Amino acid sequence: MTETYQPVLLKRVGKPNSQSLAGYQADGGYQGLRKALAMSPTEVIDIVANSDLRGRGGAGFHCGSKWRFLPKNVQGPIYLCINGDESEPGTFNNRVLIEEDPHQVLEGIVIASYATGASTAYFYLRYEYGRCYRALDAAIQEMYAHNLLGKNILGSNFSLDIYLHRGAGAYICGEETGLIESLEGKRAWPRIKPPFPAVEGAFRRPTVVNNVETLACVTHILDRGVEWFKSMGVPKDPNNPRDVGSYGPKLYCVSGHVNKPGLFELPLGITARELIDGYAGGVWKGRKAKAVVPGGISMGFLSADELDTPLDFAGPGRAGCLGLGTAAVVVIDDQTCMVDVLYNLCRFFAHESCGQCTPCREGTAWSMKILQRIREGRGKLSDLETLEQISSSIGIIPGTTICGLADGAAWPIKNALKKFRPEFESYIREGRKTSMREVVGAH
Amino acid sequence: MGTVFVDDKEVEVGPNQNLIQAAQLAGVEIPHYCWHPDLSVVASCRMCLVEVGERKPDGTESMIPKLVPACQTPAKPGTIVKTDTPKVKASQAQTLEFLLLNHPLDCSICDQAGECYLQDYTYKFGKASSRLDEPKVQRKDKYHIGDQIALFTDRCVMCTRCVRFTREISGTAELQVVSRGSVEEIDVFPDQPCNNKLAGNVVDLCPVGALCSKDFLYKKRVWWLKSQDSVCTGCSTGCSIEVDQNENRIYRLRPRPNPLAQGSFMCDEGRFGWKYVHSEDRLNSPRIGRASAIATSVAALSAVTGSSSGLGQDAMIGYNDLAYVDPWPDALSATRTMFRTAAASGRLMGIFSPMMTCEEAYLLARFLRGIDKQAVLALGPVPLIGEDDLYPKDHRGNPPERSKARFIIRNEKCPNRLGVTEVLRGFGSRLLDFSSVPELIANESISAAFVVGGYVGGWPDSVFVERLPEKLKLAVLDLLPSALTDRADVLLAGGSFAEREGTVINHAGLAQSLRTAMRPIGESRPDGRILYELNDRKGLFHARSVREEWSRELPRLAALADKPIPDQGLKLPLGEAMTGAVS
Amino acid sequence: MSALSEEIRSKIVELCSRYPSKQAVTLPALHLVQEIYNCVSDQAVEEIAGLLELTPAQVHDTLSFYGFFRDAAHPLGKKRVWICRSISCSLRGGEDVLRDVCEQLHLQPGETTDDGSLTIEFAECLGACDGAPCMLVNDELQERISVNDVLALRGSHD
Repeated sequence: MTETYQPVLLKRVGKPNSQSLAGYQADGGYQGLRKALAMSPTEVIDIVANSDLRGRGGAGFHCGSKWRFLPKNVQGPIYLCINGDESEPGTFNNRVLIEEDPHQVLEGIVIASYATGASTAYFYLRYEYGRCYRALDAAIQEMYAHNLLGKNILGSNFSLDIYLHRGAGAYICGEETGLIESLEGKRAWPRIKPPFPAVEGAFRRPTVVNNVETLACVTHILDRGVEWFKSMGVPKDPNNPRDVGSYGPKLYCVSGHVNKPGLFELPLGITARELIDGYAGGVWKGRKAKAVVPGGISMGFLSADELDTPLDFAGPGRAGCLGLGTAAVVVIDDQTCMVDVLYNLCRFFAHESCGQCTPCREGTAWSMKILQRIREGRGKLSDLETLEQISSSIGIIPGTTICGLADGAAWPIKNALKKFRPEFESYIREGRKTSMREVVGAH
Repeated sequence: MGTVFVDDKEVEVGPNQNLIQAAQLAGVEIPHYCWHPDLSVVASCRMCLVEVGERKPDGTESMIPKLVPACQTPAKPGTIVKTDTPKVKASQAQTLEFLLLNHPLDCSICDQAGECYLQDYTYKFGKASSRLDEPKVQRKDKYHIGDQIALFTDRCVMCTRCVRFTREISGTAELQVVSRGSVEEIDVFPDQPCNNKLAGNVVDLCPVGALCSKDFLYKKRVWWLKSQDSVCTGCSTGCSIEVDQNENRIYRLRPRPNPLAQGSFMCDEGRFGWKYVHSEDRLNSPRIGRASAIATSVAALSAVTGSSSGLGQDAMIGYNDLAYVDPWPDALSATRTMFRTAAASGRLMGIFSPMMTCEEAYLLARFLRGIDKQAVLALGPVPLIGEDDLYPKDHRGNPPERSKARFIIRNEKCPNRLGVTEVLRGFGSRLLDFSSVPELIANESISAAFVVGGYVGGWPDSVFVERLPEKLKLAVLDLLPSALTDRADVLLAGGSFAEREGTVINHAGLAQSLRTAMRPIGESRPDGRILYELNDRKGLFHARSVREEWSRELPRLAALADKPIPDQGLKLPLGEAMTGAVS
Repeated sequence: MSALSEEIRSKIVELCSRYPSKQAVTLPALHLVQEIYNCVSDQAVEEIAGLLELTPAQVHDTLSFYGFFRDAAHPLGKKRVWICRSISCSLRGGEDVLRDVCEQLHLQPGETTDDGSLTIEFAECLGACDGAPCMLVNDELQERISVNDVLALRGSHD
């Protein structure tokens, strides 16, 4: 099936004029919006809910349910926040979508706003995505000029403004309440929940926060219908009433030690091995994979013998990883030192911990320091127990932090020490293997 | 109301309480740093994590698998809280290890030692060792935080109570968090220190030794301090406080949380306003004769008493190199004699300070009316400075609406105008505007007056003194020297708030107890004792026993006579109804 | 003298209409200022605070969280070069590029060359892992970079 899959989200990538409104409309753009405006907002929500679209930003929350959490009969404004703070290492699907085909995303935003009753949409875009910013800015101006934004869109009673809001370099702004705080002009310290954003979000108003790719999916679900969306992916587990399945296409980012790094649109559920060997040209230099990050570094690692894990929402979890995350696959070859890799990851989380909750603030920095010491040849075997204990005692899963960043920091440590423990032990006992390439410099 | 089960103890909780408060009711301590009842909930220190569940009506229990912050979790009826499970204990110990990773462990030189929640919680909930093998991060101390505040940066646990205080209570928002993650710190914006009038509270709020009071810094280990519950006498808000003293010296005042009075805080004016207690200028013994006449003391003495009998050769009463002579029997006797003599030639008058306690006012009224049944009783100057100062301020420094104020520093700089007024009213006195008192003295042919001061800056009204008729006999009970005390024919050296006991009634009719925190300075005496003995009473002055006798004269204060005043005070049905001038 | 030009001040005020709270204009205002002045001076912070009805400490609290904005003592060079050090780039030599660039320019990440032409920064994932190792020059992406690509930026003017 995957052999013959024709991309939808990436269909227009690389085409001339892929960014322009004219080009987008020539390719059938804004049909989904027209269909949506012909329906009631509730009908649009029902369609998205029935599609069982799950959020593409990492948590995989059921999109229709998220929209339905908004209180009924709200007096006053509702806001849609677009999470374009894509910062999970290994992840670049939103960048490509926005840079290459901004209208596809913006159409989804207008549909989502119409469905949820939002009158203003704030597009929170990480600052580093300068090309995206310029593409969006131009596209939004075109939309205003063509009655796709502003008052009475396409002659309907629906009006919407979209404002671009640039971040300033903080991973935590990808957490939805961190994003809201940052949007409000504060330090991006995630909020305690409840209240959830649907009840009290941006500016203390009911708010929906959706990821860019999720909104692009909304465009196509409206245009092509629920059945198209559910024709692919991994169906619900009939034995698990809480499972909502993994339907639809997914943008898989593949990077690291592969011959052809890139972005691949495929139905949810492709295995890591198929993705690496079938699409990304296999592991480079004729080597083998030692470890594979299944969905952004927060998710942990698959070992070489877990590569047949399907990359749907449930698959990586069965292999002991945190989840599918952003479906960003990072391949690490067998010549690479896992101590270096884990140090790199821990350093990232220490740098990006917002500093609000004690366990995350202190635990991420401490684990980085321990790994640095191990790398310098001053490790002790007991350090591994300390690291394991830090990793099991931080995060929202044990309940020790407000947001999920610390879980993301914990999982790579847990997975690395479980799946590659002998390498850590021999590193501590015998020092760096000279054959290992040093991944990480002295910084 | 509903029942919550804390470690299998059942407690009844009120509305809007969290699990920390519910546990407190059950006598169970849930450790916490960031949560404070008067600040917003941030649930970030993660020290208060507990296991929770629900007891269903059918008696079954279901527990949530993960830990939750007790501060953030409402105490709903049926909630089960477990604070001592292995999971909770492990989390507490782990969080403490995290907090102590880069903590300098400089308790031996830290002001907070002895009242530090890192120390206390480590002892109760932590473990004895850290696994940290890396050098601790050292950070620079910041003495620029405020005129009164220093930050020992590496002791900070980033609970952000101080930052929230300046944003939510004072509204002045001088404090900020700088940077993020493990390198973040508390600071101010350059050249904009935290000097608002409530700033000192951030030191109390700091649960560790990070924010310290410069005034108190390195002055005294806290375990040597004795704390006495009392009331701030700086304004009519009447903040409940603790007076911390050692060897008869005050070292600091701290707010004592009291929802009926001011809440959890106090202003810096009150906090640091005790220095006059130890002023070298304090009147430290009684004096008979006007200051100007002391040189010719015998003559002066005759002039006061109308005779020279009963007094020694030297009117300067005080310590004697050779033998101690208690100066007070003579001073009190001279006072009594002066008023009894004067009553024969005119009216007596009392001028009652709003700095007095109700008991003191009662005793003085009894003394004067005991000699002259129609003695005129008047309220002395009520110090009003500017306007009431309401918080939180907005970004321009404007005050909030009164109904939204979270703290008010009142412009009435005395603790007990209401109480003293009520006592005077009980004695059937017309309540006069103080400015009319000089005319009254002339018109009503007042022959002797008893004036009580006690104002922090000394007697405030020198014009009043100038206008006193030369022949008027004047007894003054005061703390600090002034034109008035110089003019006194008998000067009685009284006590500050820290040396006295009695009742003060704040702006809203809340009666609270001033309690004796230290012995009198020199030969001065607490006003209550002076006035008690002036009435020729036997035994010792006790505010409580004075109150017991006043229910007949003071029916509106009778509630105070019936029972001891609770620590939080007793709300009387007086309030603002009494603020109008009565005549 | 005012730190912010009339033009910037009016742009900031104009942005306020987009949000229900003035504080929300904090980041947009800081970006505006740094784009023009290569830093955000304390005086600029005070003036932004004045426009947004905040205290300077509130604005600075937010500013300092992001590590993106420079104070007047550390202004940016003509070009700000962010070299990615996160895992996908590191696996393909990104961290080596960063180290070698710093060695050759005799500076630490965060510092600016003496001639003021380049400020070198490390970046966490720039979202271009398929083009690793990558860097951002101001906010334009360059992929598959080498040390020479970075050093060449010194001489180029645009």
